[in-house]
Amino acid sequence: MAAGETILLELKRIRLVLIIMLGLLLLLTVMLFDLQVSRRPEFEASLHKQSVRRIRLPAPRGRIFDRNQKCLADNQPCYCLAFNLEDLRQPGRWKNTVAEVQRRIGLLKGLIGRKAIISEDDIWNHIRRRLPLPLVAWRSLDPAALARLSESSADMTGVEIYVEPNRVYPNGELAAHLLGYVGKTDFSGAEMPGFQYYLPEMDGKMGLERQYNKIMVGEPGEKLVRIDASGLKRAERMDKESQSGANVLLALDSRIQALAESAIKDVPGAVVVIDPNNGDVLALASSPTFNPNQLMPVFTKALWDQLNDDPGKPMLNKAVAEVYAPGSIFKPVTALAALNSGAVSAAATVDCPGYFMIGNKAMKCWNLNGHGVVDLRRGIEQSCNTYFITIGLKCGNEAISDLAKLFGLGEKTGIELDREASGVVPTPEWKQKYWHDDWRNGDTCNFSIGQGALAVTPLQMAVVAATLANGGAVYRPRLVLGLQDMQGNSLTNFSVTLVRHLPLAPEVVQLVRQGMHDVVMEPTGTGGRARIPGVEMAGKTGTAEYGEKEDRKKHGWMILFAPYDKPRYAVAMVVDDAVSGGFTVGPRLHQLMMGIFRVPDGQGEAGG
Amino acid sequence: MKEFLHQFHLLRRMNWVMLLMIIGLIVVGVCFIYSATSMREDSTVDLYAKQIRWAIAGMVCYFGVTLFDYRRLRDVSWLFYFVALVLLVAVLFFGTRIYGAKRWLMFMGVGVQPSEIGKLAVIILSACLLSPAAEKFDRLPSFWRLFLLAGIPMALVMKEPDLGSALVYLPVVVAMLFVAGARIKPLVIIGASGMVGVLLVLAAVALPEQMGMSPEHQERFFQAIHLSEYQRNRIEVFLQPGKDPMGTGWNKRQSEIAVGSGGLTGKGFLSGTQNILGFLPRTVAPTDFIFSVITEETGFLGAVGVLTLYGGVIISGLYSAMMARDKMGRVLCVGIVMMVFTHAFVNMAMTIGVLPVVGIPLPLVSYGGTFMVITLFALGLIQSVYVRRPGL
Repeated sequence: MAAGETILLELKRIRLVLIIMLGLLLLLTVMLFDLQVSRRPEFEASLHKQSVRRIRLPAPRGRIFDRNQKCLADNQPCYCLAFNLEDLRQPGRWKNTVAEVQRRIGLLKGLIGRKAIISEDDIWNHIRRRLPLPLVAWRSLDPAALARLSESSADMTGVEIYVEPNRVYPNGELAAHLLGYVGKTDFSGAEMPGFQYYLPEMDGKMGLERQYNKIMVGEPGEKLVRIDASGLKRAERMDKESQSGANVLLALDSRIQALAESAIKDVPGAVVVIDPNNGDVLALASSPTFNPNQLMPVFTKALWDQLNDDPGKPMLNKAVAEVYAPGSIFKPVTALAALNSGAVSAAATVDCPGYFMIGNKAMKCWNLNGHGVVDLRRGIEQSCNTYFITIGLKCGNEAISDLAKLFGLGEKTGIELDREASGVVPTPEWKQKYWHDDWRNGDTCNFSIGQGALAVTPLQMAVVAATLANGGAVYRPRLVLGLQDMQGNSLTNFSVTLVRHLPLAPEVVQLVRQGMHDVVMEPTGTGGRARIPGVEMAGKTGTAEYGEKEDRKKHGWMILFAPYDKPRYAVAMVVDDAVSGGFTVGPRLHQLMMGIFRVPDGQGEAGG
Repeated sequence: MKEFLHQFHLLRRMNWVMLLMIIGLIVVGVCFIYSATSMREDSTVDLYAKQIRWAIAGMVCYFGVTLFDYRRLRDVSWLFYFVALVLLVAVLFFGTRIYGAKRWLMFMGVGVQPSEIGKLAVIILSACLLSPAAEKFDRLPSFWRLFLLAGIPMALVMKEPDLGSALVYLPVVVAMLFVAGARIKPLVIIGASGMVGVLLVLAAVALPEQMGMSPEHQERFFQAIHLSEYQRNRIEVFLQPGKDPMGTGWNKRQSEIAVGSGGLTGKGFLSGTQNILGFLPRTVAPTDFIFSVITEETGFLGAVGVLTLYGGVIISGLYSAMMARDKMGRVLCVGIVMMVFTHAFVNMAMTIGVLPVVGIPLPLVSYGGTFMVITLFALGLIQSVYVRRPGL
């Protein structure tokens, strides 16, 4: 082979090597294009998934006000001390960082004056599950501790004081059953699609806090956090500002509410005050009660057990969730039914010998000596059983139950509170269905005087009182007047709801109202102990046995409206373990009405 | 004075395109080493500044070598080769162990990788042995002699272990033999058997588990074929990327995400989130995975830019080979270009996940002192050949 040919061969081969190399570089270019341009979305998604976390931020929770803009449920800043692990990360294993956090906790403990709320396990848990979020070590720091912290020369790297809104009820126990309380939301992943982390949120657990939770919670905000390979926060960006929830404006008058609560504070029972002109619930109290502030931010199991095991059932709102036999306070309904049916005239009288014979069985009147000859007005005033049994049998159970239902008994009023009971208005069909027995005259007798299977809630009886007060208009109890934004501008007003006007002749209603007037205002009336100076009132007392027969326990009842001519308040009160409605409830209503009408203490007659 | 003028004359004959490409790559490297390390907490070590110092040292070598007549390498090629062998043996005994492999020798605080010196020594020795035009290299004895000479340092590098660097010897020697005029058939056999060897290693790693061998038997098997756990892990990650995404597969996966999410134009200088957030481990971002940082921040266009610079180095390098005055110059240039090309190609391919992560740096761009100086030294030899081309 000649030298020239050898060189040519070599040059040819060099060119071949060059072509192979450039070909391989081109191949790389094609693969890069595939990766970076064609498949870019796929890798962007992976990048996003591993380095971006979405955090849900709670919005300021709406507050609750009474009708005079007095705040009943408020938000208070709660100062928390938290550690940002980004700044405390120690080289090496996480163990070192945990030790550093514990060392910091030890240093700050003296300044703050109490133990941190987190243990070593909590720190590990935080690292594993909520690393980009601040690690809260102390909650509800008092001003003194905050001052000591700001003046101290301790190393504050990685320490953050941040404010968490806390729900407080400035009036403590006031209207506790109505307001309810809030707890920390416990999210399970499914409920929070799209969020990897969340901050503690308040969630209504009872009462209005629960019923209006959605409205008061508002719209949560969103924050995007970029995390690094070890899961620590590197940057954050607000994605969506939270929209604060709406304030709830109640029809409640906290002055009257406080009076109502104090009237029954020493005995299990309930009291409801309604404005008969529109159904506004001015007070709604249940006893015994609880302090919702003790249930937050978290309650102890001991407290929870204590509240639940109490035989007085402090967590139960007896005004709406408990049913009672109404006893004699039902008699105005019987009277109206009898008069309206035409079976009984207002002038008709009944001679009461102290008992009523039904078949061969005697039903006692409460006055064993007998009331003598009574007409409607005196029958109501004296609450004469013989009279009401007689007229009840004359008009029949159907007329009574129909009217009772028109008054709203036997069904929920629709008030915005949880666990409202509907009560029972017994009918032959009802008895057949639940007791598998026929309706007898004895049932009608019991029904006429508010005994037997009849069951009502105090709120329902307050509606009855309001209807009698206004002459026959049944209003739906209105607890919430409307919603406001955070600045107090009105957003929504809830209108007055007239459920129905009772188909009763005005004179008939007036007759019954006169009877109720005498109950309170006549010296012989059963409700005289409720009387207050300067205000004409009307009412009806009642007593109903409950529990085991031999215990002889009785509920005392009274319904009342005032002033008699132009009623502004309709009240129903029930208490456990009463002697009688007039004797036990009367003085309590006296105390309540004295307060409502602002009669100076010394002026009142002694309550009995 | 005359001597000085002669040397000035030589420098004026330099391959300027190649010099520009080299400087371009070094600048890109320094910029992205800065980017890769700018988010480090321990910013006391400014790697980019160190890299600049190494680049300056390398450029001094580069121009020095340009002025040095490559033909005089014949006198020192054997000496150089033996020095390299001594270093390669020394590193096995006195080397500093990093991540389970002894690759570094420390000289007065400066780390030196003997495997890099070994590559250059083999290239120079091969060029010298292949250059006498009269010798016929299709005669088997000298053909195999060359493979034996290349095989000794290669085996020593494998023992470190540094599989990636060891495998670079193969294409370099094959390319030099090819250009020197060796017959195609034995070369194909060598190349093919090399490929078969690589496949066998891959199979040895993957098969025992798939055949249901118990862990103890697997261990004995791997000991028998001298494959360390470290090597096995890397190969396994390449074969089964999903197997251990948080462990050994992490770098590969994160590098792919970095490159892929860079898109057409990238996220901007100093804005590569994979690097900033540490998903691309900080230990490898400025070294083996610098291409990943570059492509994340400059996108496909930036990647094409880097590829173009390498293309320029290769074209001008092989052009220098064609212009060489003698066979030694031609073969020498081809060997050096092949070395640079193999490093660049394997590094970029592993960055984008199409080759196993074998720990080969990107020439002139990755952070690393010895490798920078050796590469510039080698590229200087190409200039030395080019400035002594016939004509003018």
